[in-house]
Amino acid sequence: MHNLTLAFEGAWKVLLAGLILGAGLPAVFALGIRSLAYGAGGDAEVHATGTTGPKARPIGTVGGYAAFAVVLLGIALGITFVVATGFGKALSFEHIYPTIVDKH
Amino acid sequence: MTETTVVLILVVITALGFDFTNGFHDTANAMATSIATGALRPKVAVLLSAVLNLVGAFLSVEVALTVTNAVVKIQNSDGTPKPELLADGGQALLLIVLAGLVGGILWNLLTWLLGLPSSSSHALFGGLIGSAVAGLGWAGVKWNGDGSKLDGVVGKVLLPAVMSPVIAGVIAAVGTWVIYRVTLGVAARFTENGFRWGQIGSASLVSLAHGTNDAQKTMGVITLALIASGEWTDTKNIPLWVKISCALAIALGTYLGGWRIIRTLGKGLVEISSPQGMAAESSSAAVILASSHLGFALSTTHVATGSILGSGVGKPGAKVRWAVAGRMVAAWLITLPAAAVAGAVMWWIGDLIGGLGGALVVFAILAGLATYMFIRSRRQPVDHNNVNDEWDAPATRPRATAGAAS
Repeated sequence: MHNLTLAFEGAWKVLLAGLILGAGLPAVFALGIRSLAYGAGGDAEVHATGTTGPKARPIGTVGGYAAFAVVLLGIALGITFVVATGFGKALSFEHIYPTIVDKH
Repeated sequence: MTETTVVLILVVITALGFDFTNGFHDTANAMATSIATGALRPKVAVLLSAVLNLVGAFLSVEVALTVTNAVVKIQNSDGTPKPELLADGGQALLLIVLAGLVGGILWNLLTWLLGLPSSSSHALFGGLIGSAVAGLGWAGVKWNGDGSKLDGVVGKVLLPAVMSPVIAGVIAAVGTWVIYRVTLGVAARFTENGFRWGQIGSASLVSLAHGTNDAQKTMGVITLALIASGEWTDTKNIPLWVKISCALAIALGTYLGGWRIIRTLGKGLVEISSPQGMAAESSSAAVILASSHLGFALSTTHVATGSILGSGVGKPGAKVRWAVAGRMVAAWLITLPAAAVAGAVMWWIGDLIGGLGGALVVFAILAGLATYMFIRSRRQPVDHNNVNDEWDAPATRPRATAGAAS
């Protein structure tokens, strides 16, 4: 039954990493969209019919693009990972920020 | 030209054929959601996916020569073929590989005809397991690993197949739920547009990862056949022409697009909107990348299907067609044994006739059945024009009975 234990170990890690990257990044992206809508004001936000929506708020636009930057960084990390693995390298997170190292 | 050379050529053509079916069977995994939500026009989506698969295939410099080692015992651990299979210029090994590949292709084509997203890697492994059992007996298959790492049919194929869709589904459900919470109060048109971009980005990542993972498998199989017949000796490298032809085969297959499967995944399971699509593809990308990082083998198809189901579960008020999901799960369960039976039958036929004639007959059977299934598919063609049509019939069925099937 070694395989079963090993599989659960692997599955647990995949679930954790997946939740952070696969659900976390979309959440940040959603925050960005919300922030952009807040920044744009007007019809971008749900408001009572007949009234004009809230006025434009530049801070929201800035926040929105900041959130998208975080997501882009995450995607760049993903692509680096794919490419690095293909060339026999691995991404190491031992210094917290990712570095490319030789695969052991 | 010797007999072995002709058999070898048949093996190479069949392997490339498998790679091609692998491509069109899996277009849906990356692109079904983007096509369903209209983020990308169908033709653009398959083109983008094909290009990324091509790029991905070339990125995989790592040698995947030992791909068959996960399930069958026809190679040593350094990738060279087992010496006892090398008599007659390696014909024993070539026949096992040929029969296994034919089994995989036949199952891939049948599930495509039925519009079911089954796993191409399971089909390949199933075919190889079947032909190895037929050719070498039950001991020719590595059922379980030695316990030091995940290995064998159980560790590399069965356990990941059970777990990966669940993991991907949970992540996609959480992602979808969070997205809908966060964007509450934002006008629907605004969110649809924004999330389309996120969807295209995450789907592209899935395509790239698919190219790096799946094209490698065929490259490994072809190189193994070349080594067995003495045409290639280097176990550290793959011939350049093998790499180019495998990359082209998978990209062409992807471009052709398995429209039947795209339709099932994009329209059949869940009525998908672009925030859900983005959550699903992000979950798929994250799970595929994280598991290949951790050496956890899995099938892209299972992950993508799990993710799409999860995105349906996570959206408040969304409807999931559990009847369709049930059919898919049934297809997953029988993929490995069905491809194995096909592989075993092919080996017996090939062995009964023997030598070049046997290989030719097996190849002819493949060509005949493939043509038949293609002609059958023309009766109810699904292509880029009708891929997004409404999915009506199953929706009217009561959910209670349908759920029991899954």
